[in-house]
Amino acid sequence: MISGVDIQIEVKNLHKSFGDFKVHKGIDLLIPKGAITVILGPSGTGKSVLLKQIMGLIMPDKGEILVDGVDITKLDKKELVAVRKKFGMLFQNAALFDSMNVYENVAFPLREHTKLKEKEIRDIVIEKLRVVGLKDVEYKMPSELSGGMRKRVGLARAIALEPDIILYDEPTTGLDPIMKDVVDNLIYNTQKKLNITSVVISHDIDSTIKIADYVAMIYDGKTVINGTIEDLRTTDNPYVQQFLSGSMDGPIKIF
Amino acid sequence: MESLVNLLTVIGLPFTRLIFGAGRMFLLFIETVVWAFRPPFRFKLLLKQVEFIGINSLSVIILTGTFTGMVFAFQSYIGFSKFGAEYMVGTVVALGMARELGPVLSSIMVAARAGSAITAEIGTMRVTEQIDALYALAVEPVQYLVLPRIFAGIIVMPILNAVAVFCGTIGGYFVGVNILGINKTLYLQNMYRYVDLADFYNGMVKATVFGLILTLVGSYKGFYTKGGAAGVGQATTESVVLSCVLILVFDYILTAFMF
Repeated sequence: MISGVDIQIEVKNLHKSFGDFKVHKGIDLLIPKGAITVILGPSGTGKSVLLKQIMGLIMPDKGEILVDGVDITKLDKKELVAVRKKFGMLFQNAALFDSMNVYENVAFPLREHTKLKEKEIRDIVIEKLRVVGLKDVEYKMPSELSGGMRKRVGLARAIALEPDIILYDEPTTGLDPIMKDVVDNLIYNTQKKLNITSVVISHDIDSTIKIADYVAMIYDGKTVINGTIEDLRTTDNPYVQQFLSGSMDGPIKIF
Repeated sequence: MESLVNLLTVIGLPFTRLIFGAGRMFLLFIETVVWAFRPPFRFKLLLKQVEFIGINSLSVIILTGTFTGMVFAFQSYIGFSKFGAEYMVGTVVALGMARELGPVLSSIMVAARAGSAITAEIGTMRVTEQIDALYALAVEPVQYLVLPRIFAGIIVMPILNAVAVFCGTIGGYFVGVNILGINKTLYLQNMYRYVDLADFYNGMVKATVFGLILTLVGSYKGFYTKGGAAGVGQATTESVVLSCVLILVFDYILTAFMF
């Protein structure tokens, strides 16, 4: 279990439904500061919805989400905007603005939220692209980039404002094994270089074991386990064991 | 009993959908107005939309206006020549263009050209999570995407209307005087006598409202697009159809109101 560390995000008894469909039925979650936490779970269990709620993009029906001790479910729109600046998010398909080139994409948050001069913006953009291992791509359009490169540009954009927390929405889904390793390393190295809090949503066991300091598993709208990577390995929870072994026999229902 | 329920569902469902859609569109409009008074003010984005909706539509508007005026001159000549009032053609063309055909036809052309593009662009941004990305980067999508488009539509549509009315009147004069051989002096004299600036203002009011309608519908349909590429295609079609229908409905309402 998680103890003796600073907590960046705490989710308490979170409930969310869409129409009659109950996505979350009481999720509890602790996300420690300055580490990588991977949230595991089978596809379609509302992991992305959870991420969007943590960032204040979707409001929960019930429960609390504490970011640095502040319950963001009680904030108004303006205060939420301020909270969002603490976050950077890498979307599943990077969600680059396809009407802008790479440079403009990474510069976008800087232009919107800072009064920096063009020269300073340029330096930051080049710097952030270097952090994610890219150079000489500033004037390419997103459509000219490979999937892996798009993700890197997306990450460069997400860290442009130097957020405290980065959220990754299924970063390795749909990538080949080599590209997967590249993205895993990217998450790991970004974490080490910037010493921020990373939250990764995934259903990829290999990646999780490679990069995670802490893990949580969600199934059927509830938290099954929330602890260190060691806790995940040693637990005798049947849900976790089934998911780790990748077997279709067990308590997890297959739709 | 069950068939009765089914019948009520068949009648009720489209109706509730209509009310729901209208309400959501109105809320989007209110939200846009609210965001208009909050910084930052993005003049660059507004200018870009003025260029896209306005300047790029200019050639289409000139062609539409001119040909409408020319055809209108021919058609009204048929009627007026039956009782020897050919010289009234100019009056009717100018009146018709200024009050009715200018605003309606140019708005429908712009809805087809720019309204559809607005839906396709915002809709694509929606289905590829670019709108979520805007939220995530703490930028309000309504303020960033919808506001400049609606503002540009309101600014640009009256100007396009003026161009259409001007071209239509010139086209009508050309056909009436040069092709049908109506007396030049009588043509102009009657036009000046029976057409007021008020008629023109009337059309300008309409064009402003239509400019709002086509950009609001375009943004609304794009903003609530779902279902991938197919969804974007469907939203674009719905956007153009709904814009045109609403333009015609509001044309009636405004005409009756300003009669």
